[in-house]
Amino acid sequence: MEIALWQIIALTVYAFIAIYDSLETNLGLNRPIQAGFFTGLILGDVTLGLAVGATLQLMILGVGTYGGASIPDYMSGAIIGTAFGIMSGLGVEFAIGVAVPIGLFLVQLDILARFANTFFQHRADRYAEEGNFRAVERMNILGIIPWGLSRAIPVLVALAFGPEIVDTLVSVTPEWLLNGLRVAGKVLPALGIAILLRYLPSKKYSAYLLIGFVLAAFLKVSMVGVALAGLALGLLVYQRSQEKTALSSEGGVDEDE
Amino acid sequence: MRMSDTTNKITKKDLRKVFLRWFLAGQVGWNYERMQGLCYCYSMMPVLRKLYKGDDLKRAVKRHLQFFNTEPDMAHLILGANVAIEEKEGLAGEEVATAVKTGLMGPFAGVGDTIFGVIIPTVLLSIGANMALNGSSAGVWIWLIWAVIRCWLRWKFTEIGYAQGTRLVTTMSDKIQGFTEAASILGLTVIGALIPTVVTPKVPFVFQSGDVTLEVQQVLDQIMPSLIPVLLVAFIYWLLGREKMTSTKAIWILLAISIVLGGLGILGT
Repeated sequence: MEIALWQIIALTVYAFIAIYDSLETNLGLNRPIQAGFFTGLILGDVTLGLAVGATLQLMILGVGTYGGASIPDYMSGAIIGTAFGIMSGLGVEFAIGVAVPIGLFLVQLDILARFANTFFQHRADRYAEEGNFRAVERMNILGIIPWGLSRAIPVLVALAFGPEIVDTLVSVTPEWLLNGLRVAGKVLPALGIAILLRYLPSKKYSAYLLIGFVLAAFLKVSMVGVALAGLALGLLVYQRSQEKTALSSEGGVDEDE
Repeated sequence: MRMSDTTNKITKKDLRKVFLRWFLAGQVGWNYERMQGLCYCYSMMPVLRKLYKGDDLKRAVKRHLQFFNTEPDMAHLILGANVAIEEKEGLAGEEVATAVKTGLMGPFAGVGDTIFGVIIPTVLLSIGANMALNGSSAGVWIWLIWAVIRCWLRWKFTEIGYAQGTRLVTTMSDKIQGFTEAASILGLTVIGALIPTVVTPKVPFVFQSGDVTLEVQQVLDQIMPSLIPVLLVAFIYWLLGREKMTSTKAIWILLAISIVLGGLGILGT
């Protein structure tokens, strides 16, 4: 299909807002599932958008911007990948094949945005010295611009020049490669899981990992069911730890209200 | 101490301003040099303006423009405590305020990243991604509900921080350990279930020798369901533990392996 101008604009604006949202309001717009969903909605194939977003999401479950680290930009990747998947008619695996390298490449722009904001910090120092506090405040707000552009520009460029790129990609992508990408879509979520296991105390609490696995693989309990079981187990351990601290230290501070 | 008991200068409205500023712009000014420093100063500004004038104000602004970085949800506790300290001690409390800020931002980043950055997203997005793969957008709406709860929680954190003031340092450290452990257990249980649910490559390969045909996947299933996914996760876990291995490198390696094995028809879907 051909992509219309209003669709390009809508997705570009979405990318700009999404990165702001991930920094502040956390409605989830920067998550690949949401980005894929929205792109699918705009371009008329929600199922494909959700599938692309979900696969990308699972790859980076345990990856976060801890301490200001830059991570693959799978939000923009999901938008561009989903759009290309729909435009080319080649579906989910093609979309993921496009989205992954793009997401990895766009890390560079995240770094650039964080770097660009140093400029505003220095301006703020100067304004503080001069006693111009309104301007100090303005410097913080202006930080939105490098952030937003670091997402909006690549989406705009990819979608505006997309049709030609898609045509070329389609003509050179052989069937075996599509097969491989299809497999990659099923394999890559394992990476997100492995990253999480590295981050969490998975050796200390390996028993709970096993419980979760058995519930899903053997007993076919749904994800919501497993989460509730996990919550119950967590609560048990929490209560026990609170009892212990209550015994060792007299009187805690009331934290309600 | 309750907020209503205070006869001091800072009102609930001021506190709400600080909350809103951090909620809406607590990271936009993020930069490599001082990370959230600029945003922190921006958020404290309404309180600083109210408490200080002239050169005192300038001094306070410059103090708050310094390096700061923590997990954005947990930051509300620190902001709240900081407001209480500035209100009570004024400029005499400079050192205490800085000590609370810098002392808490590290531990709060650790526990905040684990709970708000890893565990809750893992649980909610695992459920959401699973539904999305089946064509349902429910995960999108689940996250929105969480966003509302989270916003409320962030306001509560601001209030708690303000009520506790300097005591925040001691009261929180008791709770944090237990919280993190419980959250980790919830996270790991979900991750255990995630392996057979979302990692789903199959082995379509069929051995043939004379009249005997052997479907490899069937044999694997008899040994244990989801054997391939388990081995795959174990392999990547090991891979990530190797020196100089990064998750980005791992993606390229997995893409290459998938394309080769998928292209050859050893792995399929």
